[in-house]
Amino acid sequence: MAGVNSPRQGAYTALAYVTLIVISIFCLLPFIWMALASVDSNAQLFLKWPDSWTFDNYIRVFAEENGVRWFANSLFTVLSATILVVIISGLGGYALSRSKAWWKQPFLYGILLIRVLPSTALLVPLYKILLTANNGMGALVRPWAGENYRAIMQMVGFIDGYLGLIIVLATGQLPLALWIMKVFFDGVPKDYEEAAILDGATLVQRIRRVLIPLALPGLAAAGLFAFMSAWGDFLLPLILLSSPELQTLPIGLFRAFLRINEIDYGLLAAIATIYLIPAVIAFSFARRFLVQTFSGGVKG
Amino acid sequence: MAFDAFQKRRERQLLRLLLPALIPLAVLIIYPALYSVYLSMTNEALTGLAAAKPRFVGAANYFRLFSDARFWNSLFVTFVFVVGSAIIGQFVIGFIAALALKRKIVGGSVFGAAILLPNAAPEVVAGFMWISMLAGGDHATLSKILIALGLPWADWLQTFPLFMVTMVNTWRGIGTAMILLTAGLSAVPTEVYEAARMDGANPRQMFMRITLPLMAPTIFLYMLISTVSTISVFGLVYALTRGGPGGKTEVISVYIYNQSFTNFQLGYGAAGAVVALVVSLALGIAYVRSLKVEV
Repeated sequence: MAGVNSPRQGAYTALAYVTLIVISIFCLLPFIWMALASVDSNAQLFLKWPDSWTFDNYIRVFAEENGVRWFANSLFTVLSATILVVIISGLGGYALSRSKAWWKQPFLYGILLIRVLPSTALLVPLYKILLTANNGMGALVRPWAGENYRAIMQMVGFIDGYLGLIIVLATGQLPLALWIMKVFFDGVPKDYEEAAILDGATLVQRIRRVLIPLALPGLAAAGLFAFMSAWGDFLLPLILLSSPELQTLPIGLFRAFLRINEIDYGLLAAIATIYLIPAVIAFSFARRFLVQTFSGGVKG
Repeated sequence: MAFDAFQKRRERQLLRLLLPALIPLAVLIIYPALYSVYLSMTNEALTGLAAAKPRFVGAANYFRLFSDARFWNSLFVTFVFVVGSAIIGQFVIGFIAALALKRKIVGGSVFGAAILLPNAAPEVVAGFMWISMLAGGDHATLSKILIALGLPWADWLQTFPLFMVTMVNTWRGIGTAMILLTAGLSAVPTEVYEAARMDGANPRQMFMRITLPLMAPTIFLYMLISTVSTISVFGLVYALTRGGPGGKTEVISVYIYNQSFTNFQLGYGAAGAVVALVVSLALGIAYVRSLKVEV
Protein backbone atom coordinates (compact mmCIF):
# COMPACT_ATOMS: atom_id res chain seq x y z
CA MET A 1 0.00 0.00 0.00
CA ALA A 2 2.73 2.42 0.99
CA GLY A 3 4.41 1.95 -2.37
CA VAL A 4 1.23 2.98 -4.18
CA ASN A 5 0.57 5.93 -1.92
CA SER A 6 3.99 7.53 -1.72
CA PRO A 7 4.24 9.30 -5.11
CA ARG A 8 0.71 10.56 -4.72
CA GLN A 9 1.46 11.74 -1.17
CA GLY A 10 4.55 13.48 -2.54
CA ALA A 11 2.43 15.27 -5.11
CA TYR A 12 0.00 16.40 -2.43
CA THR A 13 2.85 17.73 -0.31
CA ALA A 14 4.28 19.63 -3.29
CA LEU A 15 0.82 21.07 -3.94
CA ALA A 16 0.64 22.10 -0.27
CA TYR A 17 3.94 24.00 -0.60
CA VAL A 18 2.86 25.79 -3.77
CA THR A 19 -0.47 26.76 -2.20
CA LEU A 20 1.16 28.05 0.98
CA ILE A 21 3.75 30.05 -0.95
CA VAL A 22 1.07 31.69 -3.12
CA ILE A 23 -1.13 32.57 -0.12
CA SER A 24 1.88 33.88 1.82
CA ILE A 25 2.94 36.16 -1.05
CA PHE A 26 -0.62 37.49 -1.29
CA CYS A 27 -0.56 38.17 2.46
CA LEU A 28 2.93 39.70 2.60
CA LEU A 29 3.14 41.79 -0.58
CA PRO A 30 1.47 44.93 0.86
CA PHE A 31 3.77 44.78 3.91
CA ILE A 32 6.83 44.45 1.69
CA TRP A 33 5.83 47.56 -0.23
CA MET A 34 5.31 49.50 2.99
CA ALA A 35 8.60 48.40 4.54
CA LEU A 36 10.59 49.23 1.38
CA ALA A 37 8.81 52.54 0.77
CA SER A 38 9.52 53.65 4.32
CA VAL A 39 13.30 53.42 3.76
CA ASP A 40 13.28 54.64 0.14
CA SER A 41 14.59 58.16 -0.57
CA ASN A 42 12.24 58.28 -3.58
CA ALA A 43 9.26 56.13 -2.59
CA GLN A 44 6.45 55.67 -5.10
CA LEU A 45 2.89 54.40 -5.03
CA PHE A 46 3.99 51.06 -6.46
CA LEU A 47 6.34 48.38 -5.15
CA LYS A 48 9.93 49.01 -6.17
CA TRP A 49 13.46 48.54 -4.89
CA PRO A 50 14.64 51.70 -3.00
CA ASP A 51 16.68 54.22 -5.03
CA SER A 52 18.84 54.67 -1.98
CA TRP A 53 18.35 53.49 1.57
CA THR A 54 17.57 56.13 4.15
CA PHE A 55 15.96 56.67 7.54
CA ASP A 56 14.98 60.18 6.50
CA ASN A 57 11.28 59.30 6.29
CA TYR A 58 11.25 58.14 9.91
CA ILE A 59 13.18 61.21 11.04
CA ARG A 60 10.71 63.45 9.22
CA VAL A 61 7.72 61.80 10.94
CA PHE A 62 9.13 63.13 14.19
CA ALA A 63 10.74 66.36 12.91
CA GLU A 64 8.24 67.75 10.35
CA GLU A 65 5.05 66.01 11.42
CA ASN A 66 3.85 65.73 14.98
CA GLY A 67 4.96 62.10 15.13
CA VAL A 68 6.09 62.10 18.75
CA ARG A 69 2.81 63.66 19.80
CA TRP A 70 0.69 61.19 17.78
CA PHE A 71 2.59 58.22 19.12
CA ALA A 72 2.45 59.49 22.71
CA ASN A 73 -1.29 60.20 22.42
CA SER A 74 -2.02 56.75 21.01
CA LEU A 75 0.10 55.02 23.60
CA PHE A 76 -1.31 57.04 26.50
CA THR A 77 -4.98 56.61 25.60
CA VAL A 78 -4.71 52.94 24.60
CA LEU A 79 -2.59 51.93 27.60
CA SER A 80 -4.88 53.78 30.02
CA ALA A 81 -7.90 52.06 28.47
CA THR A 82 -6.12 48.69 28.68
CA ILE A 83 -5.30 49.17 32.37
CA LEU A 84 -8.91 50.12 33.08
CA VAL A 85 -10.12 47.04 31.21
CA VAL A 86 -7.75 44.73 33.08
CA ILE A 87 -8.89 46.01 36.49
CA ILE A 88 -12.61 46.12 35.74
CA SER A 89 -12.72 42.79 33.90
CA GLY A 90 -10.63 41.11 36.59
CA LEU A 91 -13.15 42.08 39.27
CA GLY A 92 -16.19 41.51 37.06
CA GLY A 93 -14.95 38.23 35.62
CA TYR A 94 -14.41 36.90 39.13
CA ALA A 95 -17.93 37.91 40.13
CA LEU A 96 -19.38 36.29 36.99
CA SER A 97 -17.51 33.09 37.63
CA ARG A 98 -18.41 32.73 41.32
CA SER A 99 -21.94 34.08 41.45
CA LYS A 100 -25.01 31.85 41.41
CA ALA A 101 -27.45 34.73 41.31
CA TRP A 102 -30.28 35.19 38.80
CA TRP A 103 -28.49 38.00 36.95
CA LYS A 104 -25.53 35.87 35.98
CA GLN A 105 -26.97 34.19 32.91
CA PRO A 106 -28.70 37.25 31.39
CA PHE A 107 -25.53 39.25 31.92
CA LEU A 108 -23.35 36.68 30.14
CA TYR A 109 -25.76 36.44 27.20
CA GLY A 110 -25.84 40.23 27.23
CA ILE A 111 -22.09 40.66 26.85
CA LEU A 112 -22.00 38.14 24.01
CA LEU A 113 -24.74 40.09 22.22
CA ILE A 114 -23.08 43.47 22.87
CA ARG A 115 -20.09 42.22 20.93
CA VAL A 116 -22.14 41.95 17.74
CA LEU A 117 -23.44 45.53 17.77
CA PRO A 118 -21.74 47.55 15.02
CA SER A 119 -20.07 50.59 16.59
CA THR A 120 -21.06 52.93 13.77
CA ALA A 121 -24.69 52.23 14.68
CA LEU A 122 -24.15 53.48 18.26
CA LEU A 123 -22.10 56.51 17.36
CA VAL A 124 -24.70 59.27 17.16
CA PRO A 125 -26.43 58.59 20.50
CA LEU A 126 -23.04 57.96 22.08
CA TYR A 127 -21.86 61.33 20.83
CA LYS A 128 -24.92 63.04 22.31
CA ILE A 129 -24.38 61.38 25.68
CA LEU A 130 -20.74 62.40 25.69
CA LEU A 131 -21.68 65.94 24.69
CA THR A 132 -23.99 66.20 27.70
CA ALA A 133 -21.32 64.76 29.98
CA ASN A 134 -18.81 67.17 28.49
CA ASN A 135 -21.03 70.18 29.22
CA GLY A 136 -21.41 68.94 32.78
CA MET A 137 -17.66 68.58 33.17
CA GLY A 138 -17.20 72.03 31.60
CA ALA A 139 -19.54 73.57 34.18
CA LEU A 140 -17.52 71.91 36.95
CA VAL A 141 -14.16 73.03 35.61
CA ARG A 142 -14.94 76.53 34.35
CA PRO A 143 -15.40 78.39 37.69
CA TRP A 144 -11.88 77.72 38.94
CA ALA A 145 -9.86 76.96 35.82
CA GLY A 146 -9.45 80.50 34.49
CA GLU A 147 -7.20 80.65 31.46
CA ASN A 148 -6.24 76.98 31.81
CA TYR A 149 -9.81 75.98 30.97
CA ARG A 150 -9.04 74.61 27.52
CA ALA A 151 -5.92 72.72 28.63
CA ILE A 152 -7.79 71.10 31.52
CA MET A 153 -10.75 70.16 29.34
CA GLN A 154 -8.36 68.43 26.93
CA MET A 155 -7.47 66.18 29.86
CA VAL A 156 -10.83 65.55 31.49
CA GLY A 157 -13.28 66.41 28.69
CA PHE A 158 -15.56 63.80 27.15
CA ILE A 159 -15.52 65.34 23.68
CA ASP A 160 -12.10 66.27 22.34
CA GLY A 161 -10.47 65.20 25.60
CA TYR A 162 -8.38 62.24 26.74
CA LEU A 163 -10.80 61.08 29.43
CA GLY A 164 -13.75 60.57 27.08
CA LEU A 165 -11.73 58.63 24.52
CA ILE A 166 -10.15 56.43 27.21
CA ILE A 167 -13.48 55.56 28.84
CA VAL A 168 -15.24 54.80 25.55
CA LEU A 169 -12.29 52.77 24.25
CA ALA A 170 -12.20 50.77 27.49
CA THR A 171 -15.95 50.13 27.48
CA GLY A 172 -15.77 48.72 23.97
CA GLN A 173 -13.20 46.13 25.07
CA LEU A 174 -15.01 45.12 28.27
CA PRO A 175 -17.35 42.41 26.94
CA LEU A 176 -14.58 40.22 25.53
CA ALA A 177 -12.31 40.86 28.53
CA LEU A 178 -15.10 39.94 30.97
CA TRP A 179 -15.73 36.76 29.03
CA ILE A 180 -12.04 35.82 29.03
CA MET A 181 -11.76 36.45 32.79
CA LYS A 182 -14.99 34.60 33.59
CA VAL A 183 -13.78 31.52 31.70
CA PHE A 184 -10.37 31.87 33.31
CA PHE A 185 -11.71 32.01 36.86
CA ASP A 186 -13.95 29.03 36.11
CA GLY A 187 -10.72 27.09 35.79
CA VAL A 188 -9.29 28.33 39.10
CA PRO A 189 -10.20 25.99 41.98
CA LYS A 190 -12.16 27.58 44.79
CA ASP A 191 -10.03 25.84 47.45
CA TYR A 192 -7.57 28.71 47.71
CA GLU A 193 -10.27 31.28 48.39
CA GLU A 194 -12.10 29.02 50.79
CA ALA A 195 -8.89 28.49 52.73
CA ALA A 196 -8.42 32.25 52.82
CA ILE A 197 -12.01 32.76 54.00
CA LEU A 198 -11.48 30.24 56.79
CA ASP A 199 -8.35 32.17 57.77
CA GLY A 200 -10.60 35.19 58.17
CA ALA A 201 -9.32 37.16 55.18
CA THR A 202 -11.57 39.99 53.99
CA LEU A 203 -12.67 40.31 50.38
CA VAL A 204 -9.99 42.91 49.64
CA GLN A 205 -7.29 40.72 51.19
CA ARG A 206 -8.51 37.71 49.22
CA ILE A 207 -8.36 39.66 45.99
CA ARG A 208 -4.90 41.06 46.65
CA ARG A 209 -3.13 38.03 48.10
CA VAL A 210 -4.88 35.13 46.42
CA LEU A 211 -6.79 36.09 43.30
CA ILE A 212 -4.49 38.58 41.57
CA PRO A 213 -1.46 36.25 41.61
CA LEU A 214 -3.63 33.39 40.34
CA ALA A 215 -5.28 35.50 37.68
CA LEU A 216 -2.18 36.98 36.05
CA PRO A 217 -2.20 34.79 32.90
CA GLY A 218 -5.88 35.53 32.30
CA LEU A 219 -5.37 39.23 32.90
CA ALA A 220 -2.50 39.18 30.41
CA ALA A 221 -4.73 37.66 27.73
CA ALA A 222 -7.58 40.08 28.43
CA GLY A 223 -5.16 43.01 28.39
CA LEU A 224 -3.52 41.94 25.11
CA PHE A 225 -6.82 41.69 23.27
CA ALA A 226 -7.99 44.99 24.71
CA PHE A 227 -4.74 46.65 23.67
CA MET A 228 -4.86 45.30 20.11
CA SER A 229 -8.45 46.22 19.51
CA ALA A 230 -8.13 49.72 21.03
CA TRP A 231 -4.85 50.35 19.21
CA GLY A 232 -6.48 49.51 15.87
CA ASP A 233 -9.61 51.57 16.50
CA PHE A 234 -10.07 54.32 13.96
CA LEU A 235 -13.70 55.37 14.32
CA LEU A 236 -13.62 56.67 17.91
CA PRO A 237 -10.62 59.01 17.64
CA LEU A 238 -11.98 60.13 14.25
CA ILE A 239 -15.24 61.24 15.86
CA LEU A 240 -14.17 62.22 19.35
CA LEU A 241 -10.94 64.16 18.79
CA SER A 242 -10.54 67.39 16.85
CA SER A 243 -7.66 69.34 18.46
CA PRO A 244 -4.37 68.81 16.62
CA GLU A 245 -2.61 68.34 19.98
CA LEU A 246 -4.78 65.29 20.72
CA GLN A 247 -4.41 63.48 17.37
CA THR A 248 -3.49 59.80 17.54
CA LEU A 249 -1.54 57.72 15.01
CA PRO A 250 -4.46 56.38 12.94
CA ILE A 251 -5.88 59.86 12.49
CA GLY A 252 -2.44 61.34 11.76
CA LEU A 253 -1.95 58.71 9.07
CA PHE A 254 -5.44 59.20 7.63
CA ARG A 255 -5.18 63.01 7.52
CA ALA A 256 -1.66 62.94 6.04
CA PHE A 257 -3.04 60.68 3.35
CA LEU A 258 -5.93 63.04 2.54
CA ARG A 259 -3.55 65.86 1.54
CA ILE A 260 -4.03 64.65 -2.02
CA ASN A 261 -1.85 67.14 -3.87
CA GLU A 262 1.28 66.37 -1.89
CA ILE A 263 1.18 62.66 -1.15
CA ASP A 264 4.57 61.69 0.22
CA TYR A 265 4.60 57.89 0.14
CA GLY A 266 7.87 57.52 2.01
CA LEU A 267 6.59 59.61 4.90
CA LEU A 268 3.20 57.85 4.98
CA ALA A 269 4.83 54.43 4.89
CA ALA A 270 7.04 55.44 7.81
CA ILE A 271 4.01 56.60 9.86
CA ALA A 272 2.13 53.41 9.00
CA THR A 273 5.11 51.24 9.97
CA ILE A 274 5.49 53.02 13.32
CA TYR A 275 1.77 52.49 13.90
CA LEU A 276 1.93 48.84 12.83
CA ILE A 277 4.86 47.66 14.99
CA PRO A 278 3.18 47.72 18.45
CA ALA A 279 0.15 45.96 16.94
CA VAL A 280 2.32 43.17 15.54
CA ILE A 281 4.21 42.75 18.82
CA ALA A 282 0.96 42.50 20.80
CA PHE A 283 -0.51 40.10 18.25
CA SER A 284 2.49 37.78 18.39
CA PHE A 285 1.95 37.45 22.15
CA ALA A 286 -1.82 37.08 21.81
CA ARG A 287 -1.65 34.46 19.08
CA ARG A 288 -1.73 31.48 21.43
CA PHE A 289 -4.93 32.74 23.07
CA LEU A 290 -6.76 33.10 19.74
CA VAL A 291 -8.42 29.70 19.76
CA GLN A 292 -9.47 29.79 23.42
CA THR A 293 -11.25 33.11 22.97
CA PHE A 294 -13.11 31.77 19.94
CA SER A 295 -16.08 30.84 22.11
CA GLY A 296 -16.26 34.42 23.33
CA GLY A 297 -16.86 35.56 19.79
CA VAL A 298 -13.51 37.20 19.17
CA LYS A 299 -12.36 38.04 15.72
CA GLY A 300 -9.59 40.50 15.11
CA MET B 1 -30.20 30.14 58.13
CA ALA B 2 -26.74 31.40 58.95
CA PHE B 3 -25.51 29.86 55.73
CA ASP B 4 -28.26 31.62 53.77
CA ALA B 5 -27.31 34.96 55.23
CA PHE B 6 -23.69 34.35 54.38
CA GLN B 7 -24.61 33.39 50.83
CA LYS B 8 -26.71 36.52 50.42
CA ARG B 9 -23.94 38.76 51.68
CA ARG B 10 -21.49 37.09 49.35
CA GLU B 11 -23.74 37.59 46.31
CA ARG B 12 -24.07 41.27 47.22
CA GLN B 13 -20.29 41.52 47.37
CA LEU B 14 -19.96 39.87 43.97
CA LEU B 15 -22.53 42.21 42.45
CA ARG B 16 -20.50 45.14 43.79
CA LEU B 17 -17.42 43.76 42.00
CA LEU B 18 -19.40 43.65 38.79
CA LEU B 19 -20.71 47.22 39.04
CA PRO B 20 -17.61 48.92 37.55
CA ALA B 21 -18.24 46.84 34.41
CA LEU B 22 -22.02 47.10 34.46
CA ILE B 23 -22.21 50.90 34.65
CA PRO B 24 -20.09 51.81 31.60
CA LEU B 25 -21.69 49.05 29.53
CA ALA B 26 -25.17 50.29 30.45
CA VAL B 27 -24.41 53.99 29.91
CA LEU B 28 -22.19 53.80 26.83
CA ILE B 29 -23.58 50.80 24.92
CA ILE B 30 -27.05 49.66 26.06
CA TYR B 31 -28.48 53.14 26.52
CA PRO B 32 -27.13 54.43 23.17
CA ALA B 33 -28.59 51.36 21.44
CA LEU B 34 -32.04 52.09 22.91
CA TYR B 35 -31.63 55.82 22.36
CA SER B 36 -30.94 55.25 18.66
CA VAL B 37 -34.41 53.69 18.38
CA TYR B 38 -35.92 56.90 19.77
CA LEU B 39 -33.63 59.07 17.64
CA SER B 40 -34.73 57.23 14.51
CA MET B 41 -38.27 58.53 15.10
CA THR B 42 -37.22 62.19 15.20
CA ASN B 43 -35.98 64.58 12.53
CA GLU B 44 -32.91 65.45 14.57
CA ALA B 45 -30.15 67.04 12.47
CA LEU B 46 -26.89 68.88 12.98
CA THR B 47 -27.76 71.69 10.58
CA GLY B 48 -30.88 73.44 9.29
CA LEU B 49 -34.26 74.06 10.93
CA ALA B 50 -34.53 70.66 12.58
CA ALA B 51 -31.24 71.21 14.42
CA ALA B 52 -32.78 73.91 16.60
CA LYS B 53 -36.00 72.11 17.36
CA PRO B 54 -36.13 68.39 16.63
CA ARG B 55 -39.63 66.91 16.34
CA PHE B 56 -41.06 63.43 16.76
CA VAL B 57 -41.85 62.14 13.29
CA GLY B 58 -42.93 58.56 13.99
CA ALA B 59 -42.04 56.06 11.30
CA ALA B 60 -41.35 58.72 8.64
CA ASN B 61 -37.61 58.04 8.60
CA TYR B 62 -38.27 54.35 8.04
CA PHE B 63 -40.65 55.04 5.13
CA ARG B 64 -38.00 57.27 3.64
CA LEU B 65 -35.28 54.72 4.31
CA PHE B 66 -37.16 51.90 2.61
CA SER B 67 -37.80 54.03 -0.46
CA ASP B 68 -34.20 55.22 -0.59
CA ALA B 69 -32.36 53.48 -3.43
CA ARG B 70 -29.05 54.32 -1.76
CA PHE B 71 -30.07 52.41 1.38
CA TRP B 72 -31.06 49.31 -0.61
CA ASN B 73 -27.82 49.66 -2.52
CA SER B 74 -25.87 49.69 0.74
CA LEU B 75 -27.70 46.56 1.96
CA PHE B 76 -26.80 44.86 -1.32
CA VAL B 77 -23.19 46.01 -1.07
CA THR B 78 -23.00 44.78 2.54
CA PHE B 79 -24.45 41.43 1.51
CA VAL B 80 -21.88 40.96 -1.28
CA PHE B 81 -19.09 42.16 1.01
CA VAL B 82 -20.03 39.76 3.83
CA VAL B 83 -20.75 36.72 1.66
CA GLY B 84 -17.73 37.38 -0.56
CA SER B 85 -15.16 37.95 2.17
CA ALA B 86 -16.36 36.27 5.37
CA ILE B 87 -18.32 33.30 4.01
CA ILE B 88 -16.41 32.51 0.82
CA GLY B 89 -13.02 34.23 0.62
CA GLN B 90 -11.61 33.94 4.14
CA PHE B 91 -13.21 30.57 4.74
CA VAL B 92 -12.10 28.86 1.53
CA ILE B 93 -8.55 30.21 1.51
CA GLY B 94 -8.20 29.77 5.29
CA PHE B 95 -9.43 26.18 5.03
CA ILE B 96 -7.03 25.44 2.18
CA ALA B 97 -4.17 26.88 4.22
CA ALA B 98 -5.20 24.85 7.28
CA LEU B 99 -5.36 21.63 5.23
CA ALA B 100 -1.98 22.35 3.64
CA LEU B 101 -0.39 23.08 7.02
CA LYS B 102 -1.68 19.74 8.35
CA ARG B 103 0.93 17.99 6.22
CA LYS B 104 4.53 17.77 7.38
CA ILE B 105 5.69 21.11 6.00
CA VAL B 106 9.17 22.52 6.50
CA GLY B 107 8.77 26.08 7.82
CA GLY B 108 5.12 25.63 8.66
CA SER B 109 5.27 28.21 11.41
CA VAL B 110 6.82 30.75 9.02
CA PHE B 111 3.93 30.28 6.60
CA GLY B 112 1.52 30.50 9.52
CA ALA B 113 3.03 33.77 10.71
CA ALA B 114 2.98 35.25 7.18
CA ILE B 115 -0.69 34.37 6.72
CA LEU B 116 -1.57 35.77 10.17
CA LEU B 117 0.27 39.06 9.69
CA PRO B 118 -2.59 40.89 7.88
CA ASN B 119 -4.76 40.14 10.90
CA ALA B 120 -2.45 42.23 13.08
CA ALA B 121 -2.56 45.27 10.78
CA PRO B 122 -4.85 48.07 12.00
CA GLU B 123 -7.65 48.83 9.53
CA VAL B 124 -6.20 52.16 8.40
CA VAL B 125 -2.77 50.64 7.75
CA ALA B 126 -4.41 47.84 5.76
CA GLY B 127 -6.35 50.39 3.70
CA PHE B 128 -3.23 52.44 3.08
CA MET B 129 -1.13 49.46 1.98
CA TRP B 130 -3.79 48.32 -0.44
CA ILE B 131 -3.99 51.78 -1.99
CA SER B 132 -0.48 51.03 -3.21
CA MET B 133 -1.56 47.67 -4.60
CA LEU B 134 -4.72 48.87 -6.33
CA ALA B 135 -4.91 52.64 -6.88
CA GLY B 136 -3.47 54.72 -9.68
CA GLY B 137 -4.26 52.68 -12.79
CA ASP B 138 -1.03 51.47 -14.40
CA HIS B 139 0.96 52.77 -11.40
CA ALA B 140 -0.63 50.31 -8.99
CA THR B 141 1.57 47.43 -7.84
CA LEU B 142 -0.96 44.86 -9.07
CA SER B 143 -1.03 46.51 -12.51
CA LYS B 144 2.78 46.62 -12.65
CA ILE B 145 2.98 42.91 -11.87
CA LEU B 146 0.39 42.07 -14.53
CA ILE B 147 2.12 44.31 -17.08
CA ALA B 148 5.43 42.58 -16.34
CA LEU B 149 3.69 39.25 -17.01
CA GLY B 150 2.23 40.64 -20.24
CA LEU B 151 -1.34 40.63 -18.91
CA PRO B 152 -3.96 43.42 -19.08
CA TRP B 153 -4.36 45.83 -16.18
CA ALA B 154 -7.22 48.00 -14.92
CA ASP B 155 -7.96 50.91 -12.65
CA TRP B 156 -8.92 48.42 -9.94
CA LEU B 157 -10.73 50.62 -7.43
CA GLN B 158 -12.69 52.38 -10.19
CA THR B 159 -13.56 49.40 -12.36
CA PHE B 160 -14.09 46.61 -9.79
CA PRO B 161 -14.45 48.55 -6.53
CA LEU B 162 -16.69 46.12 -4.63
CA PHE B 163 -14.72 43.07 -5.69
CA MET B 164 -11.47 44.74 -4.63
CA VAL B 165 -12.77 45.86 -1.21
CA THR B 166 -14.09 42.34 -0.66
CA MET B 167 -10.72 40.90 -1.61
CA VAL B 168 -8.88 43.20 0.81
CA ASN B 169 -11.17 42.15 3.64
CA THR B 170 -10.60 38.52 2.64
CA TRP B 171 -6.87 39.17 2.88
CA ARG B 172 -7.32 40.49 6.41
CA GLY B 173 -9.20 37.46 7.73
CA ILE B 174 -7.52 34.41 6.16
CA GLY B 175 -5.30 34.03 9.22
CA THR B 176 -8.13 33.86 11.76
CA ALA B 177 -10.02 31.39 9.63
CA MET B 178 -6.88 29.29 9.26
CA ILE B 179 -6.18 29.23 13.02
CA LEU B 180 -9.75 28.35 14.01
CA LEU B 181 -10.13 25.70 11.31
CA THR B 182 -6.74 24.20 12.21
CA ALA B 183 -8.03 23.82 15.76
CA GLY B 184 -11.16 22.16 14.38
CA LEU B 185 -9.15 19.85 12.13
CA SER B 186 -6.91 18.68 14.94
CA ALA B 187 -10.02 17.74 16.92
CA VAL B 188 -10.96 15.12 14.28
CA PRO B 189 -9.56 11.82 15.63
CA THR B 190 -6.90 10.28 13.36
CA GLU B 191 -8.31 6.75 13.88
CA VAL B 192 -11.29 7.73 11.75
CA TYR B 193 -8.98 8.50 8.83
CA GLU B 194 -7.01 5.31 9.40
CA ALA B 195 -10.19 3.24 9.30
CA ALA B 196 -11.36 4.99 6.14
CA ARG B 197 -7.99 4.42 4.48
CA MET B 198 -8.23 0.71 5.34
CA ASP B 199 -11.59 0.65 3.59
CA GLY B 200 -9.91 2.14 0.53
CA ALA B 201 -11.35 5.65 0.68
CA ASN B 202 -9.56 8.25 -1.44
CA PRO B 203 -8.60 11.69 -0.07
CA ARG B 204 -11.54 13.38 -1.73
CA GLN B 205 -14.00 10.94 -0.20
CA MET B 206 -12.34 11.31 3.17
CA PHE B 207 -12.64 15.08 2.94
CA MET B 208 -16.30 15.06 1.86
CA ARG B 209 -17.47 12.23 4.14
CA ILE B 210 -15.32 12.70 7.26
CA THR B 211 -13.62 16.07 7.50
CA LEU B 212 -16.51 18.28 6.40
CA PRO B 213 -19.29 16.60 8.44
CA LEU B 214 -17.16 16.43 11.59
CA MET B 215 -16.08 20.04 11.14
CA ALA B 216 -19.60 21.30 10.44
CA PRO B 217 -20.25 22.74 13.94
CA THR B 218 -16.90 24.59 13.98
CA ILE B 219 -17.51 25.90 10.47
CA PHE B 220 -21.00 27.07 11.33
CA LEU B 221 -19.80 28.94 14.43
CA TYR B 222 -16.92 30.45 12.51
CA MET B 223 -19.28 31.71 9.81
CA LEU B 224 -21.69 33.30 12.28
CA ILE B 225 -18.87 35.10 14.08
CA SER B 226 -17.18 36.30 10.93
CA THR B 227 -20.49 37.41 9.40
CA VAL B 228 -21.31 39.52 12.42
CA SER B 229 -17.84 41.04 12.67
CA THR B 230 -17.76 41.75 8.92
CA ILE B 231 -21.04 43.69 9.09
CA SER B 232 -19.35 46.14 11.45
CA VAL B 233 -16.19 46.69 9.36
CA PHE B 234 -15.82 50.43 8.88
CA GLY B 235 -12.23 51.73 8.90
CA LEU B 236 -10.95 49.44 6.17
CA VAL B 237 -13.58 50.43 3.62
CA TYR B 238 -13.55 54.06 4.67
CA ALA B 239 -9.77 54.33 4.33
CA LEU B 240 -9.79 52.58 0.94
CA THR B 241 -12.76 54.15 -0.86
CA ARG B 242 -14.92 56.09 1.62
CA GLY B 243 -17.85 54.25 0.08
CA GLY B 244 -17.20 55.33 -3.50
CA PRO B 245 -17.04 55.48 -6.40
CA GLY B 246 -20.71 56.46 -6.56
CA GLY B 247 -21.73 54.35 -3.55
CA LYS B 248 -20.44 51.12 -5.10
CA THR B 249 -18.62 50.16 -1.88
CA GLU B 250 -20.92 51.90 0.59
CA VAL B 251 -21.42 49.12 3.15
CA ILE B 252 -24.06 49.75 5.82
CA SER B 253 -21.60 51.11 8.41
CA VAL B 254 -20.22 53.62 5.89
CA TYR B 255 -23.79 54.51 4.85
CA ILE B 256 -24.74 55.25 8.46
CA TYR B 257 -21.58 57.29 8.92
CA ASN B 258 -22.16 59.29 5.75
CA GLN B 259 -25.82 60.00 6.56
CA SER B 260 -25.04 61.05 10.13
CA PHE B 261 -21.71 62.83 9.89
CA THR B 262 -21.45 63.94 6.26
CA ASN B 263 -25.11 64.83 5.61
CA PHE B 264 -25.72 65.64 9.31
CA GLN B 265 -29.12 63.89 9.34
CA LEU B 266 -28.89 62.26 12.73
CA GLY B 267 -32.48 61.00 12.92
CA TYR B 268 -32.39 59.51 9.46
CA GLY B 269 -28.95 58.01 10.05
CA ALA B 270 -30.29 56.46 13.26
CA ALA B 271 -33.02 54.66 11.29
CA GLY B 272 -30.30 53.02 9.20
CA ALA B 273 -28.42 52.24 12.42
CA VAL B 274 -31.47 50.54 13.93
CA VAL B 275 -31.78 48.28 10.87
CA ALA B 276 -28.09 47.34 11.23
CA LEU B 277 -28.58 46.73 14.97
CA VAL B 278 -31.59 44.48 14.41
CA VAL B 279 -29.83 42.39 11.76
CA SER B 280 -26.69 42.02 13.90
CA LEU B 281 -28.71 41.16 16.99
CA ALA B 282 -30.67 38.49 15.13
CA LEU B 283 -27.42 36.89 13.97
CA GLY B 284 -25.98 37.30 17.47
CA ILE B 285 -28.93 35.49 19.03
CA ALA B 286 -28.52 32.66 16.51
CA TYR B 287 -24.87 32.52 17.52
CA VAL B 288 -25.55 32.44 21.26
CA ARG B 289 -28.21 29.76 20.83
CA SER B 290 -26.05 27.52 18.67
CA LEU B 291 -23.10 27.97 20.99
CA LYS B 292 -25.17 26.46 23.83
CA VAL B 293 -22.97 28.42 26.20
CA GLU B 294 -22.84 26.85 29.62
CA VAL B 295 -23.01 29.86 31.85
